[in-house]
Amino acid sequence: MTLLTQILVSGIGFALPLLVAAVGELVSERAGALNLSLEGMMLSGAFTAVLGAVTTGSPWLGALAGILGGLLLGAAQAVLSVRALADQIVVGIAANALALAATTFGARLLLADRGREVPAFDRIAIPVLHDIPVVGPALFGQTPLGWVCVLVVVVTAVLLGPRTGRGLRIDATGEDAVAADRTGLPVRRVRALCILLTSAMAGLAGAQLALSEVRAFSDNMTAGIGYLAVVAVIAGRWRATGTVLAAVLFGLAQALQYALPALGVAVPPAVLTMIPYVIAVVAISGLAGSSRAPSCLTVPFARA
Amino acid sequence: MSRLLHPAAVAALAVAAALIVGLLLAGLAGADPLTTVSALVEGMLGTSYAIGESLNGVAVLMLVAAGFVIAYRAGLVNVGGEGQLCAGGIAATAIGTGLPAGTPAFVALPAVLVAAAAAGFAWAAVPAALRVWRGTSEIITTLLLNFVGLALVTLMVHEEGLLRQPVTSSETLPQSAPLVEGAHLPELGLSRSPATVGIVVAVVALVAVGILLRHTGTGLRLTALGHAPEAAARLGVPVARARFLALGGAGAFAGVAGGMLVATAPYVLAEGFTSGYGFSGLVVGLLARGSMTALAAVAVLLGFLVSGGINLQLVAGVPATTVSIVESLIILFIAGSAAWAARRRAALRAPAPRPAATQAETVGAER
Repeated sequence: MTLLTQILVSGIGFALPLLVAAVGELVSERAGALNLSLEGMMLSGAFTAVLGAVTTGSPWLGALAGILGGLLLGAAQAVLSVRALADQIVVGIAANALALAATTFGARLLLADRGREVPAFDRIAIPVLHDIPVVGPALFGQTPLGWVCVLVVVVTAVLLGPRTGRGLRIDATGEDAVAADRTGLPVRRVRALCILLTSAMAGLAGAQLALSEVRAFSDNMTAGIGYLAVVAVIAGRWRATGTVLAAVLFGLAQALQYALPALGVAVPPAVLTMIPYVIAVVAISGLAGSSRAPSCLTVPFARA
Repeated sequence: MSRLLHPAAVAALAVAAALIVGLLLAGLAGADPLTTVSALVEGMLGTSYAIGESLNGVAVLMLVAAGFVIAYRAGLVNVGGEGQLCAGGIAATAIGTGLPAGTPAFVALPAVLVAAAAAGFAWAAVPAALRVWRGTSEIITTLLLNFVGLALVTLMVHEEGLLRQPVTSSETLPQSAPLVEGAHLPELGLSRSPATVGIVVAVVALVAVGILLRHTGTGLRLTALGHAPEAAARLGVPVARARFLALGGAGAFAGVAGGMLVATAPYVLAEGFTSGYGFSGLVVGLLARGSMTALAAVAVLLGFLVSGGINLQLVAGVPATTVSIVESLIILFIAGSAAWAARRRAALRAPAPRPAATQAETVGAER
């Protein structure tokens, strides 16, 4: 494998979980619900995925457990921010802290002695396509769960796109919740369902990270990817294509951490750790002027 | 009923509920409640050493939280405490290790703390400027800069050309050289207690912030800005400048706290020296709801809880993260019940005719 191919393989490897989480978060944000807890949902998903895989011995049941793990935090976010009208940002940040502490606690208790051999997914090379030079191995060498991720992203983007009926209803709740309510849309239910969808996808993303890429659980293994996914939505101007592009860009930036030392470029690792975050800050500050968030983003809705 | 809905009562109930969950978790980890509580209390109040350590932590929390409250008053949410602590710590170390060995304390200490404040201000100035002139959400940018700040500390203590102590053997730890003697925060002189003057500095800062926000024109302008930016602008409040300075000021407070962390024993900058104080400070600031008395009380509670948590791990074998779980549950419980309690209070006060559907106010922040 050439070096460029390796960069692409690990770049896509980082980008895929980020992508799944970001496309899910896009749905919630269009409905007016910001989930800063995306990071925590991914981490919970990664933890429960490994726990499930180790316990049952099946990576597929592990992935399912990962989705449930994400949903658990999503349910808390939905109840607190949609039902109890709590500040979405406060809830999100606290939920992340909770997920980080709880998974660390759980790993001590449940994974300490048997976390080593995790039944994980193996890569499947698609014949012919995998042999395309440079990009082949990166695009066509995913694990089965990786293909599920791709499928989920495509289905979500198509079925809930802004020109479908469902997509329109989602956009309506996010742009003007009061008007949407008057036309008979169940604003709170739409938002809660969107948050649950987001959290399930974030859980899947965590499972993909833990069972296809890292093949283990380690404390705080998402290390900020969830925040980058939230930023990818903003940088992508609340459009699916933009979000996908931003997610891939952040994934490649993450991969540089491993690629540059391999290239023989002597850069301190800490500098490389910073790069994705610096890019993220630049990306949202450069674009914020020319884009507009959904009007009701982070504004809770209640009939007075 | 209405007394139970008072914010302080809601907060107390949330804390109690979270503590119960904490006890249950400790039980899961194999420690009976009695052992847990005694280990926790022992770690918090058992020895004068423990009390001193806790007080130093409380001082850091108070400063970060005071800064958070200033920005919050102006309608800005500073999630960047962690990064600002890092910036302050780095600047303090750069000055504190660069000064000649015999520098007297009355020169070295102010130099170190002023440098820390300036660095914290500068770190927060980036999101502040982006917010004011480009409209970028300060919540996201301050959050992202935390990761940059933490990585910057790693960089500083790993590179000899930067702040790493001279590498003499393969066992040289990746940390800075110790600060010169004059830059050490003086201890209060209590017997066998590491408590420094930091707590005094923090209390003075709290009083100053309380007066600033309650009894001065600046405080009134910030409050107006936070409640109704457009009205404030029409009344002549320099919106951009006030916002910039409020968030920058929050950074300066956290910066000083970071400086104090490295100016306390063992007087070095090392990875992880912020140990989550940035996040805990945010929690304290949120729970205090603008009252400096409440802020001090919550800071003491959380500061002692955190240092008790370390003992929990040592003595009872309960992971120290239990305390972080309790901490985050407190926020979730309060966030979840605050809006509900506010509506119940309003309903009890005036069963007025209901207006048509409106957007509910975001709890707390004016977004």
